[in-house]
Amino acid sequence: MTSAPSVGALHPLSPADGQTPLRPRRAFLADLGMGFTGLALGTLLQREAGAASSALWTPPDGRPHFTPKAKNVIWLFMNGGVSHMESFDPKPMLTKYAGKTIAETPFASVQDPKKLALERLVVPDANGNQRNTLFPLQVGFRKHGQSGMEISDWFPHIAAHADRLALVRSLWTTDSNHGAQTQFHSGRHQNDGDFPNLGAWVHYGLGSLNENLPQFVSMGTREYWNQRDGHYLGPAHDAVPLRIDPDRPLDYARAEHALVGAGQRGGIDLIRRLNELRGIEYPDDPAIAARIASYELAYRMQSSVPEVVDFSKETAETQALYGLDQPHSREFGRQLLAARRMVERGVRFIQIQHGGGGAGAWDAHSGLKANHEGLARAVDQPIGGLLTDLHRRGLLDETLVVFATEFGRTPGTQGSDGRDHHIFGFSVWMAGGGLRQGIVHGATDEIGFHATENRHYVTDIHATILHQLGLDSRRLEIPGRKRLDIDHGQPIRELIG
Amino acid sequence: MLAGDYEAALKPLLRERCFSCHGALQQKAGLRLDTVAGMLRGGKHGPALVSGKAELSALVQRVSSSDTDERMPPEHEGQPFSEAQVALLKQWVSEGASAPAGELPEPDPRDHWAFRPRQRPSVPAVKQADRVRNPIDAFLAKGLEAAGLAPRPEAPRRLQIRRLYLDLIGLPPTEAEMQQALADGSDEGYRRTVDRLLDDPRHGERWARHWMDVWRYSDPWGLGDQHRNSAKHLWHWRDWIVESLNADLPYDEMIRLMLAADESHPDDLQQLRATGFLGRNYFLFNRNQWLDETVEHVGKAFLGLTLNCAKCHDHKYDPLPQTDYYRMRAFFEPYQVRMDLVPGEADMARDAIPRAYDRDPETPTYRFVRGQETQPDRSRVMTPGVPSLLGVALPDIRRVELPPTAWQPERRPWVLETQVGGARKELQTVRSEVARASTNAAATAIAAAKVAVAAARLESVVRRAEAQRASWNDGPASATTAEITDVARRAAVTAERREKLARHRLTLAETQQKLATAEVGKKDALAKEVATQTERLAALEKEAAQEPAPSETFSVLSGAAWVPTRFLDSTKDDPAVPAAPHSTGRRTALSRWITDPANPLTARVAVNQVWNRHFGAALAPALFDFGRKGGTPEHTDLIDWLACELVDTRWSLKHLHRLIVTSAAYRMDSTLAGAGAELARDPDNRLGWRRSPIRLESQVIRDALLAHAGRLDTTRGGPTVGSSDQAQSRRRSLYFHHSNNDRNLFLTTFDEALVKECYRRETSIVPQQALALLNGRLVGDCAPDIARNLTASAPAPGDEAFVRHAFEQLLGFEPSPAELQAALEALRGPFARSAGEAGGKAGPATGTSAAEAQKAQAQQDAPMPARARLVWSLVNHGDFVTLR
Repeated sequence: MTSAPSVGALHPLSPADGQTPLRPRRAFLADLGMGFTGLALGTLLQREAGAASSALWTPPDGRPHFTPKAKNVIWLFMNGGVSHMESFDPKPMLTKYAGKTIAETPFASVQDPKKLALERLVVPDANGNQRNTLFPLQVGFRKHGQSGMEISDWFPHIAAHADRLALVRSLWTTDSNHGAQTQFHSGRHQNDGDFPNLGAWVHYGLGSLNENLPQFVSMGTREYWNQRDGHYLGPAHDAVPLRIDPDRPLDYARAEHALVGAGQRGGIDLIRRLNELRGIEYPDDPAIAARIASYELAYRMQSSVPEVVDFSKETAETQALYGLDQPHSREFGRQLLAARRMVERGVRFIQIQHGGGGAGAWDAHSGLKANHEGLARAVDQPIGGLLTDLHRRGLLDETLVVFATEFGRTPGTQGSDGRDHHIFGFSVWMAGGGLRQGIVHGATDEIGFHATENRHYVTDIHATILHQLGLDSRRLEIPGRKRLDIDHGQPIRELIG
Repeated sequence: MLAGDYEAALKPLLRERCFSCHGALQQKAGLRLDTVAGMLRGGKHGPALVSGKAELSALVQRVSSSDTDERMPPEHEGQPFSEAQVALLKQWVSEGASAPAGELPEPDPRDHWAFRPRQRPSVPAVKQADRVRNPIDAFLAKGLEAAGLAPRPEAPRRLQIRRLYLDLIGLPPTEAEMQQALADGSDEGYRRTVDRLLDDPRHGERWARHWMDVWRYSDPWGLGDQHRNSAKHLWHWRDWIVESLNADLPYDEMIRLMLAADESHPDDLQQLRATGFLGRNYFLFNRNQWLDETVEHVGKAFLGLTLNCAKCHDHKYDPLPQTDYYRMRAFFEPYQVRMDLVPGEADMARDAIPRAYDRDPETPTYRFVRGQETQPDRSRVMTPGVPSLLGVALPDIRRVELPPTAWQPERRPWVLETQVGGARKELQTVRSEVARASTNAAATAIAAAKVAVAAARLESVVRRAEAQRASWNDGPASATTAEITDVARRAAVTAERREKLARHRLTLAETQQKLATAEVGKKDALAKEVATQTERLAALEKEAAQEPAPSETFSVLSGAAWVPTRFLDSTKDDPAVPAAPHSTGRRTALSRWITDPANPLTARVAVNQVWNRHFGAALAPALFDFGRKGGTPEHTDLIDWLACELVDTRWSLKHLHRLIVTSAAYRMDSTLAGAGAELARDPDNRLGWRRSPIRLESQVIRDALLAHAGRLDTTRGGPTVGSSDQAQSRRRSLYFHHSNNDRNLFLTTFDEALVKECYRRETSIVPQQALALLNGRLVGDCAPDIARNLTASAPAPGDEAFVRHAFEQLLGFEPSPAELQAALEALRGPFARSAGEAGGKAGPATGTSAAEAQKAQAQQDAPMPARARLVWSLVNHGDFVTLR
């Protein structure tokens, strides 16, 4: 705290009268307030009171539950639904049987209604229907690296890292509309309501790595139904939205008035002094300490946040590595470069949405070839660059990069040249963070319809990531908010090694 | 293993995984596992436990089985036991399955405190009588005396006045109001202040926001231009809440109106606004999601029942079978939302009343197997019904015959006038637009066609209005009335044909203009189009000249419009349904059941919500779960007494507020100084020996800034202030557009209500809040005005008087010598210096808005920039956003 003699009495760990035993839980909460991202203090205190009957429950103490292998997560989410068959899961049978209906092929059994029953409708839609006439692959595939992983020719820069990827080709979900985006983040179907997403759980479970920056950041446009993260964990666990704009990277990061100008520091010193003095009359009020900490942090954020999105000290080579020198990849590349800078500075969870707005850019109901080829050009080099850069800086071991999307696309054609939404099988990959490398896990059937081997619901990805971060999501659960087995998922052992 | 280990480690596990089916709630297969005796006794498959023989114990076998048909808990019903848990169980059984002495089974769930009938408890006699201002304090004192705890002393009077203002009207007292309240320092004076504030119309604005949290108020939202969620113009419901609270409309009546005003007041637009509560749940695409939200939040908000937990299976904690969920849904199955025309506004996009009505009375409700909408159990229609658990009978469901003006709202006296007025206004608008527009030949032709359309439409509306009036002749039918009706009908049909003709002429004129200016390559296609349209014109002209056939009808001018849904196909509206002349009466019956004074839950839940918003902590912490999972709160007797007070005073919320804010409990200090013993014994304040500081809601923070600055626009009610107007607006925050994806940034930063569920406001402390108050334009704009106002109202000139006054007004307390000194030093030191600097280079501010602000600053604030900076600091003081 400060050198002021009165301050000792303010510290929440101090017994109010020298006799009172310490109350560790409360003290911990106040301590968290001294760290970065702030916390829903009142909420937690209220929950404590509410949870008195639930004697077994304690809030997270900011430490992992077991030794972590990863510290940071960069979460890349492709909005709209990437075709698994034109990215990471080649299906030559589509080309062989192109133009035939599924019923006319040897794979007719994929449409057994029992196998389709997992779908839960939100919107009876012209989209999200089964498309029966098989659509040929729109791109070639090649084997890459020692692993011989097959990746489409639209993703050459990612393919160059094939031996670093842990690719899962057997995801499934249940919402055939774009609510599957929130479902991929929270594990819950839109019809169930709003639930905290993975980033919020990580933020809730783990303490700070850096006291000058938010620990949970989001970049890119978010769909309107996917605007927030914390939900029942509270707004303190929402991602802080950042923009790649050193002049306005964060709301209120710059003065919108000329009232104090250069006198801000003096003002903050006075605010701090007055808040401390108030603690004489209100000792043991954890909000005072938390507020003082939040002002110090806010002051530092004014410079640290613009700094993290200022690339003037990055070399031309690095900038080119992320595709900043090319218009098609510049926007995404800037976000990924900022992500690496945040990882270097200890930001815990960086959530980046690509192609957000409308239903999502990857939503190729028609013109799939032009759509995916163009979008792949926008993201491939930045992602490849990110993996290269993290690796050469020794950051990839502790940083988990995730490439995800809400669902795959139909093996059958929609219109003349598109693919519809497809929930029964799709692909996601991860890299770094101590996961096994160059591994393909799970598979879909021969036309990419159903995940058949090692099927995984989306929360298995969450459980895998939490595991690498040293967290057991069952130990994060809070009273009154029952989570089901499927909400927790299971770590994918084969990827953990 | 000892009995104590069983109690500590095994029993909680069994409680979590097994008791819901094998305990007090249900005894599947006749088995109870809530006592060791029950396990030994077993069920219809024999004993569950053989003491000392784990391998022979059915319990061990079933929880450790790898066969999912065999394993307990069954699939989808609970998490299987882990290996470690099985091992623990085995060990305990092997070592003799020792039970604690006198182990009692779970009590009957129906005996849970909140499910029992409510009885007025007698007010306890207590020793701390001097601390008892009203029975609330007696109930609290009983517990405190038993625990040997002393309540905190009364807070300083100034702080109490600040509390009353911010709590009851959501705004700080002016200097004059504070002085008046301080001067009237007696208990009667305090009560007079309370009465004044409860009678103040701003009280309704303040408490409406609380209830809007609980009742999930949301302005409409959607994707782009597509409206998907909540009803348009829902602000009418907000205004109804404000007005109802100000009028102290009984809480039970509020519930009845919100759930069924369309049945009790089918023709009263003012009351119909109340059903915005149901309009809120409108969802374009999915009926199940819509009704799930309706059932869940009717259950949570009014009853404190988590009915939603019984959607997929029987409730795990409370005696609510799955069918209770769907029977509750059946009350709402028929309802949808429509917009009713308001007098004087024919354009529903601009205004109309969103309200509930029974649109599809015959739609059956089915139970969904495991809650899955794809698996309705069509073998049995779920009829409306209430949980039998509460022992209160549902009143008979009586079909409500609606007056013709309710189901044919075009018959309302103002509707046709409004329609005609709208058409007339449109004609005027088009005429004046045309007069202003530039003139070239083609544009003139189009303009003339537009005027002709508007004129033809006016004619058509007038004729149709006449024809409708004629057809409603309710007197004795005669040849004459029939003739009049038929003449009017033919005139209306003809006028409508002419309107169609005029519209087609306009289309043709537009195509002709396109043709005139088109590139060569496109001329052919356009010429073809002109030819087709010309042909069609001739047909329409011919039709318009013909006498209408006897069977031909015109389109009725409507007084209401169903808000379309797309449950069947997301690309087109579901088919229209003719309005029914009756309503099912289901919701009326439900609302009467909920507000039946014998319903044990409704009043208890309400007083707890009110208490929570006054104290920042609830008597029953689980605000929306009064079931067994919510536990038994410390002060059930106080809850019951308050609930009885509420019911016995005709459900007067103002009476409840008055009771609470005049209690000694409310007037206590929130400091912990010197409270070591109490803090050690009851750190969570379960017994209520102190008040807790409350972080003010986002709306209060913004409103207080504007009020101190003298900038608050006190206009009440009306349409929401849209996001683009909010930066300039000085209206109370209550009136800002507030939806799931469009909420004010400043308000959101301070934990704005989540529109999907907000029984309790979050109160976070995050650096973004500091940035909003340090850097935000709102504070920058307000601080100079606040400094000026404080300078004017300070009791004496000079910096010291100013500082004291600023502390008292903004923070609600008198500064200590150290605080005074710190502020004065800053005022005379750094703040005065940066005053000099700020004139030239204004720190990090960038952009036009900052430059503007700087300019405005230089003009307005030159005399007192240092004081404005001090105000800026005090606004950032924790106590500005805290109710101590």
